[in-house]
Order: sequence, then structure tokens, then C-alpha cells
Amino acid sequence: MNPTGPVFAGPPAAHGIHWVAVLALLGGAAAAVLLVWGLVRGRLPASYGAAAVLLTVAAYGFASLHMLEGSKQVAFCGSCHVMTPILRSLQSNDGSLASTHYARGLVPHDDACFTCHSGYGIWGGVDAKMAGVMHMVRTATGWYTLPLTLNGTFDIDSCLNCHAYATTFRAVEAHQDPDLQKQLLSRQLSCTGACHPSAHPDSALGGGGPAS
Amino acid sequence: MIRLACFLGLVALAALALLLVRLDGSTAIVFSFVGIPALGLALLLYVVVRWRAGAFGFSSAPANGKRRPTPIPDR
Repeated sequence: MNPTGPVFAGPPAAHGIHWVAVLALLGGAAAAVLLVWGLVRGRLPASYGAAAVLLTVAAYGFASLHMLEGSKQVAFCGSCHVMTPILRSLQSNDGSLASTHYARGLVPHDDACFTCHSGYGIWGGVDAKMAGVMHMVRTATGWYTLPLTLNGTFDIDSCLNCHAYATTFRAVEAHQDPDLQKQLLSRQLSCTGACHPSAHPDSALGGGGPAS
Repeated sequence: MIRLACFLGLVALAALALLLVRLDGSTAIVFSFVGIPALGLALLLYVVVRWRAGAFGFSSAPANGKRRPTPIPDR
């Protein structure tokens, strides 16, 4: 059974007008007219040139915001072929930690990858964006090896951000063990691997073909 | 040189249009690694053109690119 209806389509705000994209489009279109004019005529009066520069830079600013926000989407992460199997695993509810969170709605559905991989706080987001730029460099140049591995240790603050104050988490006897807590906080131990299943199954880390 | 600057600006806008039409990994790569360098180069060329025309006051030539008339010496 696959229920359909407006309630299952997500909150209304998710379907509003993307004003940042609209502004980028309008600015870019106006700049393109001026640039074509300059290309054909071979000269650009100072005022037209200044307008072309301002409009193009503004359009790029808005488009960059659009990309920053849009690149949080699960579909964006899964659009590169090395990530496609991970996206399939996430959506198939195969028992991995990530797919369990995804299927039960424990992470925002559209931003699931970003939620767990961005770390905690504003700098977590900045780090994630910088890592994303390196992902693009590596994808464009083919500078990566398979199977995919996590760069560094996973920031368990992403887990604790939600779980630390949950009564169900606190009630687990193992979580109350001081030694275990020390190991977790010193990053000697992670949530996954020893106690909880891997975030993504090994079969999904070997890359794959283009997204279908 | 202004034609080259305009052409590079249009290349940058084409990358932007791709991103707006379809946001995914490939268009983000084109936007970041083709569009932004093209835009930077276009801006650099345009600044050089304007600078050579004397727009920033670093050159003796006036902003409209015309040479100043040579003053007639007093007799």
C-alpha cells in the first residue's frame, strides 16, 4: 500500500516559490541581454557595463544560495553515481542505521544526508559545505577510491544532538556506563560498528552506475 | 577584449542557467568549476578594459578614452 494525498507530500512551505532561484533567473536574464549587446557591438558604455557586472554578480550570489540550500537534498547527494547505491539503500529500509532513521522519519526526509553528516551547530554546516566542495572536486577529477570510506571519524554529536535527552536513550543500561561514555566522548568508540549496525551497508559503498 | 569579457560572462550565465533548470551534482560542478572561474575572468578583463580607459584615475587618459588636447605653450 502506497498512500497518496496532500498530507503525504510534505509541509506546504516545501512547495512554495523558490524566490532565490527566481531572482537569480531575472538578474541573469537582464545581464545576458547586456552581455549579448556588448558581444555584438564590441563595446559597452560604462553605465551598461556596471549594470552587467552588478546583475551578473547578484545573479551568481542568488544562485549560490540556491545551490547551498538545494545541495542539502537527498536527491542532490544521490545524483552522483558513487552515491547512488547509498541512496537506494537509504530508501529501501534494508536495516542499516541510515535507512532505519529514514524510514521511521527520525531525520528530515529531504535533508537526511545533511542532517547526519553536517555535525552539530553552525560550524558543522560550514564543515559539511567545505567537505561538499571537496566531494565535487573528487567527483570531477575521479580522485577517489572504492569502497567509499568516511573521511576521519564520524561526529557523534550529530547523534547526541537528538538522542542525548531522549528518555529511551538514557534508559539503556549500556549508555549509562561511565567507561563507555568516556570512550564515546573521546571518539575512541563510535555509535556504529560495535553496538549499532553500520550506517550504510558495505554493498552500498562500492559505487554504482548513474542514478535511474 | 570587451567581446571576450562578454563571451566569458555569457558562459558563466549559461552555467547558472543549467543550475537553475536542474540542480544536481553535475550542474553544481559546472557552476562551481566552469561558471565561477569564467565569471572571475570576465570581471578581471572588464576591470582591465576600464582601467586602460582611465576609469579608475590611475591613467592620464580621461574616462571616455579620448586623449586630452595638448596645451598650447605661452608665448
